[in-house]
Amino acid sequence: MVILEAEHLAKRFGPVTAVHDLSLTVAEGEVVALLGLNGAGKSTTLHMLLGLITPDAGSIRMFGMDLARHRTEVLSKVNFAASYVDLPGALLVTEVLDAFARLYGLRRPKARVAELIELFELEPLARRPMMALSSGQRTRVQLAKALLNAPRLLVLDEPTANLDPDAGDRIRGLLGDLARTNGSAMLITSHNMREVERMCDRIHFMSGGRIVAAGSAAELAGAYGAADLEEVFLKVARG
Amino acid sequence: MTTISLPPLSWAARRTRIMGVVRRDFAALRRSPIRMFEILFWPTVELLLWGFVTAFLQTQRVPFVVAFLLGGVLLWQVLQKASNEISIAFLEDIWSRNLLNVQVSPLSSVEYLVGLVVFSLGKVVFAVTVMSGLAFALYGFGVGGFGVGLAPFMGLLLVLGWSLGLVGIAAVLRFGENAQVIAWSLVFVVQPLAGIFYPISVLPAPVQALSWFLPASHVFEGMRTVMSGGPLPWDRLLWAAGLDVVYLGLTLALFAWALRYARAHGKLSRFGD
Ligand SMILES: Nc1ncnc2c1ncn2[C@@H]1O[C@H](COP(=O)(O)OP(=O)(O)OP(=O)(O)O)[C@@H](O)[C@H]1O
Ligand SMILES: [Mg+2]
Repeated sequence: MVILEAEHLAKRFGPVTAVHDLSLTVAEGEVVALLGLNGAGKSTTLHMLLGLITPDAGSIRMFGMDLARHRTEVLSKVNFAASYVDLPGALLVTEVLDAFARLYGLRRPKARVAELIELFELEPLARRPMMALSSGQRTRVQLAKALLNAPRLLVLDEPTANLDPDAGDRIRGLLGDLARTNGSAMLITSHNMREVERMCDRIHFMSGGRIVAAGSAAELAGAYGAADLEEVFLKVARG
Repeated sequence: MTTISLPPLSWAARRTRIMGVVRRDFAALRRSPIRMFEILFWPTVELLLWGFVTAFLQTQRVPFVVAFLLGGVLLWQVLQKASNEISIAFLEDIWSRNLLNVQVSPLSSVEYLVGLVVFSLGKVVFAVTVMSGLAFALYGFGVGGFGVGLAPFMGLLLVLGWSLGLVGIAAVLRFGENAQVIAWSLVFVVQPLAGIFYPISVLPAPVQALSWFLPASHVFEGMRTVMSGGPLPWDRLLWAAGLDVVYLGLTLALFAWALRYARAHGKLSRFGD
């Protein structure tokens, strides 16, 4: 079942065309990647899908609803984490998660927070203020926040950028499980090609605000006569 | 798993989201001793300052009710706090780079604002209670002098304060973080015009005309009427209430417009850089 359907999205910032005529679908349980050079338009696309940026043109339907018209309903089924956002530094980890559990209108916020603290192995950090955590530890809290509402679509903008290889590996495993067991779909950007190869069912390459190639990692490698995704990236990016 | 969340448009969900904002801000306040200290610092400083001015004027036998000044200080704090608390709570989300997290949550803008308002109300009531106690302990000034007028006077100033705070937030959404100056200072533009420490009649005539467009002017004039033993001036209260409603409507519209602007120009993700 298709849960996200974006058609002909466009966004300009003054003279810069950030996104141009971009269409994208995500099905239930599918893990989809947006790849591309810095400035290709990945974050702009994600932000339009999250209602942070109003598209100049095009339509966004999620769970069969128009995003602009059913913002609260749509966003209660979605969640987000990114390397460039942070959580309130003065609050304890549990307080942050508790606050967001309520912002997502959860029935039993405390119980859900406890579950996620366990899932992300945050027990030793639970009573520490956010600002005392390392950036990788904060990323884990952010990902826990992103799973609070058991989102049917998880939007992740370079989620593992701050993680050490061990934490990164475990988080990837955890997110993979989540997609398989809960049917949560994911839309991910990343500059880590191995991560994308491992996690994503479908990959979209963006360049200059457009999707220029799409397919599974294997399909793309075949089409570009490349050994791996890294090579595909370089070939696509360098024309 | 399907029942993990309340139905997003239900009242229970709305209440949960609003209380999420309130609890979050309360937790942040509890974790910040400086912030706690600040709630009481400025009101106390102003109270002491004007208290001594009052004491001095009393020794000079200045022929007017010097308690006007203390009443003015107290009500002024209500206005200033209501205004600043709202915009600070919003700026807090920008400073901590948390704004995007809030903006992508199902929390609607109205719910967010209601949360900020509820929390600021708590802070204002706390500060005013402590100040009233202090004013009584130090200067024998009892807020009882306001009579039944106290609650409506404070309510009318709170609403004006929230409107001013909304203008501050709208300015930041429209012009970026540098506009936080507006969030701090707008209320001080109101200060000289609203006749807080003196009757409106001392202002030059053209300025007076302007003053009467401020709900606060009616409140402070009304306060002086009550404190000099007059009856509760209903006409003043009604004027203030009417103007409050108009300004709140206008500033909500301004806020909505600024948020639309910020979304259209991709500004929400650009704060804090
Ligand atoms: N809010 C904004 N205001 C002005 N220009 C913007 C804004 N957001 C993005 N842009 C521009 O739009 C283009 C696409 O940016 P975007 O952030 O979407 O790229 P990206 O693919 O996410 O890059 P990166 O890999 O570096 O994160 C860039 O040229 C950028 O400068
Ligand atoms: Mg980006």
